[in-house]
Amino acid sequence: MWEGRLLAVVTAVLVVFGLAAVYGASSLVTTAGGQVGASFALRQAVGAGVGGLLAVVFARTDYHRWRRWAWPLLGVTGLLLLIPLLPFTHPITPTINGARRWVNLGVLTLQPSELAKFAVVVWCAMLAAKKGEQVRDFQKGVLPFVVILVPVIGLIFLEPHLSMALLIALLAGSVMFTAGARIGHFLALGVAAGPLLFGAVATAQYRLARVLTFLNPGAAPAEATWQVQQSLTGIGAGQLLGAGFGQGQQKLGYLPYAYSDFIFSTIGEEWGFVGVVAIALLFGTFVWLGFRIARHAPDLFGQLLATGISVMVGLSVVLHIGVSLAVIPATGVTLPFMSYGRSSLIVALAATGVLASVGRARKA
Amino acid sequence: MAKPLVRLRVVEIGIGIALLALVLRAAQVQLVEGRRYAAAAKAQRTERVILDARRGTLYDRHGLGLALTQETYHVGIAPNELRDPSRDVGTIARQLRLAPRDVEHALHRRYAWFAGPFTPPEVQPLRALRGIHLEPVLRRFYPSADFARAVIGRVGDDGRGGGSGGGGLERLLDSLLAGTAGSAVVLKDREGREYESPARVIAEPVAGSDVVLTLDAELQEIAQRALDDAIDNMQADGGDVVMLDPRAGEILAVASRRADGSMRPSAFTETFEPGSLAKIFAAAALIRFDRVRPGERVSGEGGRYRLADRVVTDEHPLPSLTLADAIRVSSNIALVKFAARLDPDEQYGVLRAFGFGAPTGVDFPAESPGRLRPPREWSRPSSASLAIGYELAVTPIQLAAAYGAIANDGVLLEPTLIREVRDPRGALLYRHHAEPVRRVVSPQVAAKLRALLRGVVDPGGTGERAALANFQLAAKTGTARRVVGGRYAAGQYTASFAALFPADAPQLVVVMKIDNPQKGSYFAAQTAAPVTRSMLEQALAARTVALDRARLSNVAPTTDRPPLDEPDGVVPYVVQWPYVPDTAAAQPDRVVPNVTGRPLREAARTLHRRGFRVVVKGWGVVHHTWPAAGDSAAAGTTVTVFAELPPSSAPTPARP
Repeated sequence: MWEGRLLAVVTAVLVVFGLAAVYGASSLVTTAGGQVGASFALRQAVGAGVGGLLAVVFARTDYHRWRRWAWPLLGVTGLLLLIPLLPFTHPITPTINGARRWVNLGVLTLQPSELAKFAVVVWCAMLAAKKGEQVRDFQKGVLPFVVILVPVIGLIFLEPHLSMALLIALLAGSVMFTAGARIGHFLALGVAAGPLLFGAVATAQYRLARVLTFLNPGAAPAEATWQVQQSLTGIGAGQLLGAGFGQGQQKLGYLPYAYSDFIFSTIGEEWGFVGVVAIALLFGTFVWLGFRIARHAPDLFGQLLATGISVMVGLSVVLHIGVSLAVIPATGVTLPFMSYGRSSLIVALAATGVLASVGRARKA
Repeated sequence: MAKPLVRLRVVEIGIGIALLALVLRAAQVQLVEGRRYAAAAKAQRTERVILDARRGTLYDRHGLGLALTQETYHVGIAPNELRDPSRDVGTIARQLRLAPRDVEHALHRRYAWFAGPFTPPEVQPLRALRGIHLEPVLRRFYPSADFARAVIGRVGDDGRGGGSGGGGLERLLDSLLAGTAGSAVVLKDREGREYESPARVIAEPVAGSDVVLTLDAELQEIAQRALDDAIDNMQADGGDVVMLDPRAGEILAVASRRADGSMRPSAFTETFEPGSLAKIFAAAALIRFDRVRPGERVSGEGGRYRLADRVVTDEHPLPSLTLADAIRVSSNIALVKFAARLDPDEQYGVLRAFGFGAPTGVDFPAESPGRLRPPREWSRPSSASLAIGYELAVTPIQLAAAYGAIANDGVLLEPTLIREVRDPRGALLYRHHAEPVRRVVSPQVAAKLRALLRGVVDPGGTGERAALANFQLAAKTGTARRVVGGRYAAGQYTASFAALFPADAPQLVVVMKIDNPQKGSYFAAQTAAPVTRSMLEQALAARTVALDRARLSNVAPTTDRPPLDEPDGVVPYVVQWPYVPDTAAAQPDRVVPNVTGRPLREAARTLHRRGFRVVVKGWGVVHHTWPAAGDSAAAGTTVTVFAELPPSSAPTPARP
């Protein structure tokens, strides 16, 4: 039971830390826009409240219910993902930065792809647990996954949101891998997906630029190197102890999305290497606890569910930090619990609640 | 379930390794390369801003600003930030003196910009308006555009003495005037917007030093005006006027102009053959080496004197002449005969000692040294030529300095344009003191030379002290043929005139030169001489001119004498001084003329003509006078003229 409590503490620390970082990184942006300097942080706090509430509720809910909710959840997610792609839905799905990733449902603006992460994890865990040993079979085990997941991932890809599509594919792969799918099948799928991925990168200029930037920073166009270069500059300038909370200056328009896609960079600048290690330790603890819960789960579904959620958080963290440190090509992956974005925050907190409920049910 | 647990561990370890790798990468970026990144971050978000130093002011000797630096403004307008565009347009147009239509038109753009430059009073009411962005810029301002322009020069397009268009004293004194620019570091965002609050001043700008010139604004005005009139009336090619205080070597006025109105500092840079003006220096050598007995006479030769290789002539020959006669009537023949008694080294040495053939050392760039050949380069007629002022090229400044040495009891002073240098807080950094170059002749010789220049001094010296109205001038005229393209041009002359005022204890040396007068006589006696007399009369009428009136009153006055009107002779002009002492009988009151709206120069002339003294306040055209136009005032009363810049000369919105 201590895993659950520690999980709650770690999560709470991450959320509070995140709120502070969002406030620091966004206040200047919002002030320049004529809004209250704290508006980003306030909205994020509302998200944290809602997410926290959901987490408590889900922690006390028997996780087996998710087995039944898996299909409806995936269905709803699929529908939400479909909305932005329809031609007449522009009023509720505005184009932001060339992509339509948000759906305005009146009371809240939702990013369906964030929900999709969780839905896919639940659904994969459900199906893999149901298939059992059959997972090792291509036709009966792997193919059903492919048939259902390719359309879902395809929808995200068409938003367009390539990095999220890849992340979700990796999540599904991790769950299936843990469930025992053959490595040869993964290789086959990888070979099949390779040309698709290459085509996707090569046809969209901004993706190509980012990849080129990553491969050869010196030769890439100046605008493409900008984000990554600024992110590195900010983190590097933090040195050991950082500039101090709120003292970071990369957010003066140098680092785009300092409060979301590059929040780690802000943390690195303001808290230095000490802050980076703290963040790594907190997330490391979270993932370690997640896998610990998975290992002690009473059944295969619980085990796969816990694994999927842990991987979901862990992989997002690795991708986000990797981008910030110019280890991975620039993508729009948020840092769970910390990046500005209520969809991401609420989903992450809700998933944590589910993880805790698996932990509560550990076998004696 | 064994297999899933193994795979679980694989995934877990995979994520763990990835996290660890990222921490190591962060260590590399932050701990190993951190210093470099920190420097890069600082470099990109801070900007070093140059804080311009105010350029020092150039003053005339009485503290009148001649070249000033003012803070002016460019005005930028962001139309979308204006609170009430329709009302603001009116305010802007009124304040900046622009057509409202133009302003309205400009506001259709995203950002309107008016270069101006606009003055602080013009932009003051705009400071309160939102959307108005003032961009301060220091601007060099010359209150009177033509005032000693060739000497003062202009700042170049770099805003300092250099660059194209720069020159004159602005260039020469640049290191004094420029001051030291300061710098500050400001924070800026990616759009380049500067955040003022965390600005850090690294060095405050240090304003340049102020320089007080030796020029006397009023004398300069008089000289320029006289030169303009002379060039126009005589249809001359150009001319120069130099006024020098012989006791201090200070140049009080220097005017140069060409017929087309252009001004270049030709008084410093262009040479001419002085002709008869140089005869006095031959006389100096003769007296110094005692080659002429008092009263010794030589034959006038009937006006034609044959030398081995040429003929020397005189226009108005006398049967026989003393040295004094020779100077008085400017006899070429007598001078040539007397000078033959001089050893070439002696003749050369005296000319050299008076400063010919070498720069005077005046603080002006590109001064010409003139030309004086040493004896080994002489040909046979050189000695005779030099005695009458040929084979010798001099600048007006050299002549003024040399005549100054005669006035200054034989000591040649280095002429100067700079009287004082003061640091921005007013502390005196430099004050000019007379800088003797050498003693050229003894005081006795100098006195004899002055006597020669004065011509026949009145033997009786009636000495009516009370009159105190007339001063004698010691002077010399010169009419020399002009060299054009390497040979003497037919019918072209340089008329020149050098005067010491007053003849005893001179306070002022005036050298005037008129190039190629076309209309009327080309003889200096009829051209340069009357102009000089007129300038001196105006100088005496002007109140602020630096003449020592106490000493003037000790000078023996002379009675009126008919002016000798001999070509090239000594001209004992008598200068009328309109000043009337308090003890004199009250003059009848006269009406102050209305000079409102007239240029200062013209107004001063009008007032002087009516016998008033003039004090000027401000620049531009006359706004009003005190006493006012129409009031009655005694002759000699000081009329204060208040001037303002006319509205038409207000800054226009053209780009500078």
